[in-house]
Amino acid sequence: MADPIPVPVGILRLPRGPDSSGSRGFSCNPRNFQNPHNSQNSQDFHNSQDVQNSRAELRARFLRLLSSARGRPARFSLWNGLELRAEFGAADVHTGAFQVDSLQTPLGIQGSALLRCGDVLEFSFPLE
Amino acid sequence: MAMRQTPLTCSGHTRPVVDLAFSGVTPYGYFLISACKDGKPMLRQGDTGDWIGTFLGHKGAVWGATLNTDATKAATAAADFTAKVWDAVSGDELITLAHKHIVKSVDFTQDSNYLLTGGQDKLLRIYDLSKPEAEPDVVSGHTSGIKKALWSSDDKQILSADDKTVRLWDRSTMTEVKSLNVAMSVSSMEYVPEGQILVITYGKTIAFHSAETLEQIKSFEAPATINSASLHPAKECLVAGGEDFKLYKYDYNTGEELESYKGHFGPIHCVRFSPDGELYASGSEDGTLRLWQTTVGKTYGLWKCVVPEEENAEAAKARTTLPGTAEEEIVAEEIASENSDTVYSSTPEVKA
Repeated sequence: MADPIPVPVGILRLPRGPDSSGSRGFSCNPRNFQNPHNSQNSQDFHNSQDVQNSRAELRARFLRLLSSARGRPARFSLWNGLELRAEFGAADVHTGAFQVDSLQTPLGIQGSALLRCGDVLEFSFPLE
Repeated sequence: MAMRQTPLTCSGHTRPVVDLAFSGVTPYGYFLISACKDGKPMLRQGDTGDWIGTFLGHKGAVWGATLNTDATKAATAAADFTAKVWDAVSGDELITLAHKHIVKSVDFTQDSNYLLTGGQDKLLRIYDLSKPEAEPDVVSGHTSGIKKALWSSDDKQILSADDKTVRLWDRSTMTEVKSLNVAMSVSSMEYVPEGQILVITYGKTIAFHSAETLEQIKSFEAPATINSASLHPAKECLVAGGEDFKLYKYDYNTGEELESYKGHFGPIHCVRFSPDGELYASGSEDGTLRLWQTTVGKTYGLWKCVVPEEENAEAAKARTTLPGTAEEEIVAEEIASENSDTVYSSTPEVKA
C-alpha cells in the first residue's frame, strides 16, 4: 500500500506587501517607540505653511503638465534602453503608472496599456 | 522526490532579489532583509513575510544586505559605491560609508560595533561604527572583486570569497592565514558558527569546508548550476537553489536529495534558513521572495495544518478570508495554478 498523499498545508493569508500609499513603512512597527521629539521637529519643518504652499504650487503645475500631455503622441525612454511611442493618456495619483493608448510594440500596436513608472526614465511630448 | 508545498510569496520588489539575510531571534520574533536591484532593500517579519518597511536612500542596485543579531540595525552594500547602516526600527539612514567601487557584501560583528565590507575594489574594509568618520582598516590581497566577506571564529577572523579563491584572514594582524583555490566561480558563501562550517557553492557543486583550516569536509552535486545554499541550524539538511528555478533539499549526512520544489519564475539567487530552522527563504530573478516550510505540514507562521475532517470547514473559511487587493489576488491565482487543485481540494484518497 502506497503512502497516503500528504495533505497540503493551507495558508491563512498571503504575506502583506508594501503600503499602496508609497510610504516607506516602519510606522506600524511595535518596536518603533523611540524618539518622538526628533520626528516631531522634522514634522514641523515639513508642515510649515511656506513649505506647504510651495508644494501645493508645484503639485498644481505638475498636474497641469500631465493634463496638457493628454492625447498627445509621446515618446518614453525605458531603463533597459528601450524607446516606446504611444499616445499619452493619464497618470495615477501616485505616478506609479501611466495609461497610454496606441502603444507601438514590436508585436504590433497595443490599443491601451499601462506603463510602470519605475521603468520609465523620461518621457517627452510635443507642446503643439 | 517531487513534493508539493505552498510557499508564501512576498511581492513588492520590482527587480531581481540578489541577497537576503535573517536576524537572530529577538523578543519580537525574527526578521528578514532583502537586497534588490531596484535599490530599495526591504525589511520583513521573518516568520510571516509581512512587509515592515523599505530602506530608502541608495541610488543604485543593492547587492548585499544584512541585519545585526537583534535586528536593531541593518547594513546594505550597493552599486552606488556606498555601504549604508540603517536603524532597523525606524528605517532611518544612520551612516553612509563611501567606497571607490561597487560594494557587494556587508557583515556586522556580533556586538554590532564593527562593519566589514567588500566589493569590486578588491579590498576588505573594517569600519568602527562608533567612529564612522575615521578611516577604516583596509585588508588587501584579493586579485579579483570580492563577492562575499564574513566575520568568523567569534569575529577574530574574516572569510572572504572572490571569483576563484576563498581566503581566511586574521583580524588582529590583518594578514592572510589561508587561501583556497576554487575550480569555478564562487556563487555564494555562508558561515555556520556552531561547528565552524563554511558552505560554498560553485558550478553545480555545494561544498562544505572547515572554517578554520579551509579543508573540504564533503561536497554534493546538484542537477543544475547552484547560486546559493544554506545549512539547517541543526545540520540535518541543507537547501540550495539556482539556474533551473527550483529549490532542492538534501540530507546533510547522506547527500540524498529529499525534496525539490518548483515555484519561482526565474533563477534563484539566494537561499537562507531562518534562525529557528522552521522555514527557509529564497530570492529570485523574478523579483519575489518565497518562504518555504522545512517540515511540510506543520502549523507555523501563516501555514495552518489542515486535518482531513476539518478541511472542508477550513477551506470554506479560507476562501472567504482571501485578501481582496488586485496584487494579492494575482499572486493567489499564481499559487493555485502552480499547485493545481491541491490547496483547497477535498480529502485526498489513500491508494492501496
